[in-house]
Amino acid sequence: MIKSLVVIPDRCMGCHLCELACSQEHYGVMSIERSRIHVVRLHHQPVDAPIFCLQCGLCIASCPVNAVKRDPKTGAIMVQEERCIGCGNCVHACPYGAASLDPATKKALICDLCGGDPACVKACPVDALKYLDADLAAKYKRINFSRLQTVVR
Amino acid sequence: MILHGYAGKILWVDLNRMEVREKELDRDLLKLYLGGTGYAARILWDMLEAKIDPLGPENLLIAATGPLTGTLCPSSGSIEFCFKSPLTGIFGEARAGGTFGPKLKFAGYDFIVIGGKSEKPVYLYVGDGYAELRDATHLWRKNVHETTDIILRDLDEPDASVACIGQAGENQVRFASIMVDYDRAAGRCGGGTVMGTKKLKAIAVNGHGAISAAKPDEFFDAALDAINAIKIRATKGMGEHGTLGGLTALNESGALPTRNFKTCYFEEAEKVSGQTLSERYLIKKRSCFGCPIGCGRYIQVSAGKYQTPPHEGAEYETVNMLGVQSMIDDLEAIIKAGYLCNIYGLDTISAGNVIAFAIEAYERGIITDKDTDGIKLRWGDPEVIMTLIEKIVNKEGIGRLLAEGVKSASERLGKGSEEFACHGKGLEIPAHDTRGTAKSLVIQYAIGNPRGACHIEPIWAPMWDFSKVDMGLRKYGLPWPPPSRFEETGVRRGEAYKLLAFFGELAGILGICRFPLLAAEDQNLNLDRLSTLTTTLTGFDLKPQDLLRISERVYNLKRCFNVREGVDRRSDRLPKRVMEPLISGPTKGVKVENLDGMLDEFYDAVGWDRETGIPRKEKLIELGLEDVANEIWKSRSSKQEE
Repeated sequence: MIKSLVVIPDRCMGCHLCELACSQEHYGVMSIERSRIHVVRLHHQPVDAPIFCLQCGLCIASCPVNAVKRDPKTGAIMVQEERCIGCGNCVHACPYGAASLDPATKKALICDLCGGDPACVKACPVDALKYLDADLAAKYKRINFSRLQTVVR
Repeated sequence: MILHGYAGKILWVDLNRMEVREKELDRDLLKLYLGGTGYAARILWDMLEAKIDPLGPENLLIAATGPLTGTLCPSSGSIEFCFKSPLTGIFGEARAGGTFGPKLKFAGYDFIVIGGKSEKPVYLYVGDGYAELRDATHLWRKNVHETTDIILRDLDEPDASVACIGQAGENQVRFASIMVDYDRAAGRCGGGTVMGTKKLKAIAVNGHGAISAAKPDEFFDAALDAINAIKIRATKGMGEHGTLGGLTALNESGALPTRNFKTCYFEEAEKVSGQTLSERYLIKKRSCFGCPIGCGRYIQVSAGKYQTPPHEGAEYETVNMLGVQSMIDDLEAIIKAGYLCNIYGLDTISAGNVIAFAIEAYERGIITDKDTDGIKLRWGDPEVIMTLIEKIVNKEGIGRLLAEGVKSASERLGKGSEEFACHGKGLEIPAHDTRGTAKSLVIQYAIGNPRGACHIEPIWAPMWDFSKVDMGLRKYGLPWPPPSRFEETGVRRGEAYKLLAFFGELAGILGICRFPLLAAEDQNLNLDRLSTLTTTLTGFDLKPQDLLRISERVYNLKRCFNVREGVDRRSDRLPKRVMEPLISGPTKGVKVENLDGMLDEFYDAVGWDRETGIPRKEKLIELGLEDVANEIWKSRSSKQEE
């Protein structure tokens, strides 16, 4: 079965190791800005959460030069860097803030699931990030989205 | 040529001229000191004249990272502040976690060196390859949380990191802390006091750059190996109930100091335990940058007299010093007291120590109602803690005396109060005891290198004789098996402490937290892992022995800095209170009998002169510190020849 990257948010402590692992895997350097996953901490609220691409594909149609495709094997978004013109349309199209532009190359940064072996999962010390069979991953996704409907008093 | 593992630059800030400039890192110095507190110690040695006033413009405040800071190496979110301490008059260093250190390196700087004194309040902004001083008039008199909120809002950069002072630093309380990312404290030695004298309210950093490794794939593998080794401690160990998780076990061993170090047993320990904290007040665990352990506790007292907003707090030292030490068993009150110290920027350890001292002095009639404006300083009364924190921060009434630190306060009070003023070289003793915990702390507190009586810098030495964990040091000569924690001389304590100190010193040099070092070798950053990580990161050939050599050099240089300020064997002492027999609990009757015997063994092991306690000239020359040796021994050699 195809696999999905999910987060079990109660576990995340906000350590940023996933970000460093991502940039190290893709570019051989440690940089939170060159990462395709971003840890958000809200200081006054109990929120530490990795924000990453949900592979929804809204960016594909937004690209004016057809640089964004889907890898049929992993289902992941693939940016063809040689085509990317750094226009930022995909960043605009992404509802989650998961896409960004690489400050070094000005090309789009979108999670490619490391070709099916995500580095962020390997570096996560608390197993908050999981790469699971899509069916099981969906259960965690439901939990996460159910929280959007929670009434906060 | 690229310097792998480093940003490559130092930011020099002159507050007299309101100037900011950059300098390249000195490669020759890097080879000798690597970075962090080692490199910073060399700057302080070179730049500070002996005996300067730590409150004066000539003092320097250095924010230091190390090569491992901000990398995939576990627990790399470190920033070390180094300066001459206004509390102790000797080498001052204080570390905080959070994201400040990594952001500084991502901005392109390994160090910030700040000298001079501004006329009006300012803050330093550091962005990518860019820095400037900005007006902070609107921030003066604001507390730490308010200051951080305002700066982040004004910058419009929610991902920036802010290190700042609160009212304690502005008012030059001698043990004011520098607070990082709201609640992470570089607490000890009065770094916040130095910022206050310089009218430097805050430093905000935000960097977006990258750190590269010399051998990227090998470094990545080494880092993943280290993360995997350490991550078990997120759930079994410090991460489970925070640093407070060990409190009840310490109590059962008779190692929980209370009542101003008269005893190491507290009947009500369960009420203030890490388990109680987790059940009632924990919102979530929070880690510093890069940390698989995550000892941080995001907590709240949601209602009642001691209500607080959500914040990070209630770690072991704070709960003991602000609570247990004064026999307080109300965890909500202790959380509130810690919260107040955080927002005012006050070191919780020194504050708790000096408050317990004041209560005892009142009990003995050395402080009277006249001094306290009628407040009855009683054991176990949370209101005493709250009131004294406010008075210390604002230097009101008795607070003016206590704000000078326990050493100065006792010297001014006299009447025998020096005997129960618990400090080493002017630094208030924290919540681990010379008698109840382990005798390794006798050497550590009495030598007090580098910063006075401290439980964690250079290392938590009782890992050896209390916890009986070798941390992978056995093969590098750590005496094994360790002796009973109560034995004093003739059990190779000198040799052991030497190696423990050098190992711990590495954390400050490499720019990481000390906690990942403190575990068995299959669960820690041991010397072998540190060697692989630093070698593959920097490209320098750093075998375990090379690392130990560098930390030996740094440890000796810091001692020499202190010698230059007047430290020698005569200052390697402890107050009577922490030498005399404990009065109750499992360790009742334990005392320190032969301090001098233990010191002799340590001086011999480390190559310091027995008579003076000063590093021997040959030792310093062997370490490549000939210029330091000449300065230290210049005035003394003539005396020796007489």
